Amino acid sequence: MLRIGASALIEAGGMEASVSGAVESGTANGGSGNAQRNAALIAHLVAAGYLRHECAILQPAATFLELAGEELRDRLFLTSDPSGAEFCLRPEFTIPVCRAYLASPQAGKPADFSYLGPVFRYRAQGVSEFVQAGIESFGRADRAGADADIMTIALEAAELAGATNLVVKAGDAGLFSALLNALALDPVWVRRIKRGVARHQTLDQIFTPPANGASAEHSGLLAAIQGADKQGARKLVEDLLSIAGISSVSGRSAGEIAERYLEQSTLQANGGFSVEKRSVIEAYLAIEGHPDDASASARALADDAKLDMSAALDDFDARLGFAAARGFDLSRMNFQARFARNLDYYTGFVFEAADPANPGAAPVVAGGRYDGMLNALGATGAIPAVGAAIWCDRLDTRPAVQGEPRP
Amino acid sequence: MSAPANSKLVIAIPSKGRLQENTSRFFARAGLDVVQGRGARDYRGFLKQMPEVEIAFLSASDIVAQLASGNVHLGVTGEDLVRETVADADDRFELLTPLGFGNANVVVAVPKAWIDVRNMSDLEDVAAAFRARRNGQRMRVATKYINLTRRFFAANGVGDYRIVESLGATEGAPAAGQAELIVDITTTGATLEANALKVLDDGVMLRSEANLVASLTAPWSEKARADARALLTRISAEEDARTSREVRAYVPNKPRRTIREAEERFGARAIYGMDGDIIRVVCPAGKAADLAGWLIERGAQHVSVSALDYIFSAGNPLYDKLAKRLDAQG
Repeated sequence: MLRIGASALIEAGGMEASVSGAVESGTANGGSGNAQRNAALIAHLVAAGYLRHECAILQPAATFLELAGEELRDRLFLTSDPSGAEFCLRPEFTIPVCRAYLASPQAGKPADFSYLGPVFRYRAQGVSEFVQAGIESFGRADRAGADADIMTIALEAAELAGATNLVVKAGDAGLFSALLNALALDPVWVRRIKRGVARHQTLDQIFTPPANGASAEHSGLLAAIQGADKQGARKLVEDLLSIAGISSVSGRSAGEIAERYLEQSTLQANGGFSVEKRSVIEAYLAIEGHPDDASASARALADDAKLDMSAALDDFDARLGFAAARGFDLSRMNFQARFARNLDYYTGFVFEAADPANPGAAPVVAGGRYDGMLNALGATGAIPAVGAAIWCDRLDTRPAVQGEPRP
Repeated sequence: MSAPANSKLVIAIPSKGRLQENTSRFFARAGLDVVQGRGARDYRGFLKQMPEVEIAFLSASDIVAQLASGNVHLGVTGEDLVRETVADADDRFELLTPLGFGNANVVVAVPKAWIDVRNMSDLEDVAAAFRARRNGQRMRVATKYINLTRRFFAANGVGDYRIVESLGATEGAPAAGQAELIVDITTTGATLEANALKVLDDGVMLRSEANLVASLTAPWSEKARADARALLTRISAEEDARTSREVRAYVPNKPRRTIREAEERFGARAIYGMDGDIIRVVCPAGKAADLAGWLIERGAQHVSVSALDYIFSAGNPLYDKLAKRLDAQG
């Protein structure tokens, strides 16, 4: 955790007063060429219809930790006010933009925003203050079109600023959810598989149930209940908990505890996970390549396994169609079924664009669909949301190629 | 680190409570009396037998902070605080020796009613389910050990949680509705029990006890190093003596061979050499009786076993440990 002193705060406050000045002077990125480039970049985003949003550098810290998790904590620059409330220097723009949108009269209606400015995240190597630009689109019901717009506009802006020939790695959390739904798995398995894939576990790790203690200690009871009437079993455990005087124990209800207690029997039961279903998931996660080919493979897989995934696959194809119509060359995209971005709030299309000449390098542009976030931030109805960020400090990290002058 | 050649060795010790008593007892065993300057309210003192060594009386958390900033050379504090406060503790400190008091475990404890949760793998799953059910809201963990918790949870793959900082009566947080579970320090587990909490099977994050900790960033002047060496020599000498017994006997047959065998079987050390007919060795206190019985089997009529006050040695493992680290950083 990084605590900043009062002097750093005053500095930050001063910067806020002249946010655009700080950006244009390009202190974090060096050079006035960058300032010009950044100005052109944001101008492109605004011209594309994304209203520029400016937000305070000093932000309440709780929301970021709540949405991005405690693992973000040691990258935040934290401070507190005299009352002890925690604040941080903004580590990114998406959450502040979401909050501003929800607080505005436009909340719930379609609205598009862009941003450009310094963000602050601790980096062991390099400068912890760097400039990010990006776009967010809220409330568009035509998800496939919105996905394609966000990706292509962000890539165009990056290209305009010098990052040409970026190669896109894409995934689709929505398509994977559709597959798991179509397989009619127990919720305990859906959770396990989704988390396992997000954490890059191997299939063996995912499908080997952990030796969870509840079942070891109560194996006899679980065996007796197993296969019995599920509602009745749940009622029994719930009743046992209420005899002990427990109705709601710090957030988890007796029903919730009972339900998971019984779920453990599902995990432990031999052959609890069918070999056929596992092989379908395995085959799906192995899909990789040109997005059109990937789509065809996924359709063939769904047909073979007699799974209805047509709605999600139609969306997938529609997104590709819109992207191509916007002039995006689909051969620049490599779809990987098991690709998931680090942040787990993505619910649909996700992508990262990086320089192919620099394999292993961090993405220059990245984004995706996060339909659940506005809800988590307090929106009453579900509001579609998709966005992308551009790391301005990575736009020009490529080594200059001989005979090819840098723009 | 350039330091005035004569700058003093400063040792930080707890300023109150049982930790202070135990620390004073620890120094007293090594024949060193901690003297508090002008009555109990003075926060500086010295060692009676080594008046050049300065003692700073500080609260437990200040001791870690002063070690981290290099204002004191040595300190007596719990490993839990060291590891919580300083992320790269092993780079900045040398934990010279555990002191055998201030024992406590930092543990993950959940409500007993969570009958479906026995270990961290359960917790990982519950945390994810909790969040999925509640629209992204994360399970809350009350603790003062923010960094230890984050490291331990990350190592166990638990990501879906939020830390609620709690600086006192953490064990009451779940019942008060401030958190779903806690990470806290416990000695007997009685407080957890009283609050209907249970420790997860693999939920012991750290087995902590008071340690003599050296700051590698303090200004180690020649004088400070010399005094540290003298101090650690006394501590080592006492520790070695306390955990050892001297065993003497007359064994008529092949005394040298007997000594060699005693070394192998009982961890005896022939610290006085092997010459002469009298066997005279030092062995671990717990093995003295067995060694005596064995010597009688080998023909001894009498075996005497005596406790020692100090065993001063040319080699000093505590100081060597410190010197190695200090020399390594140049």
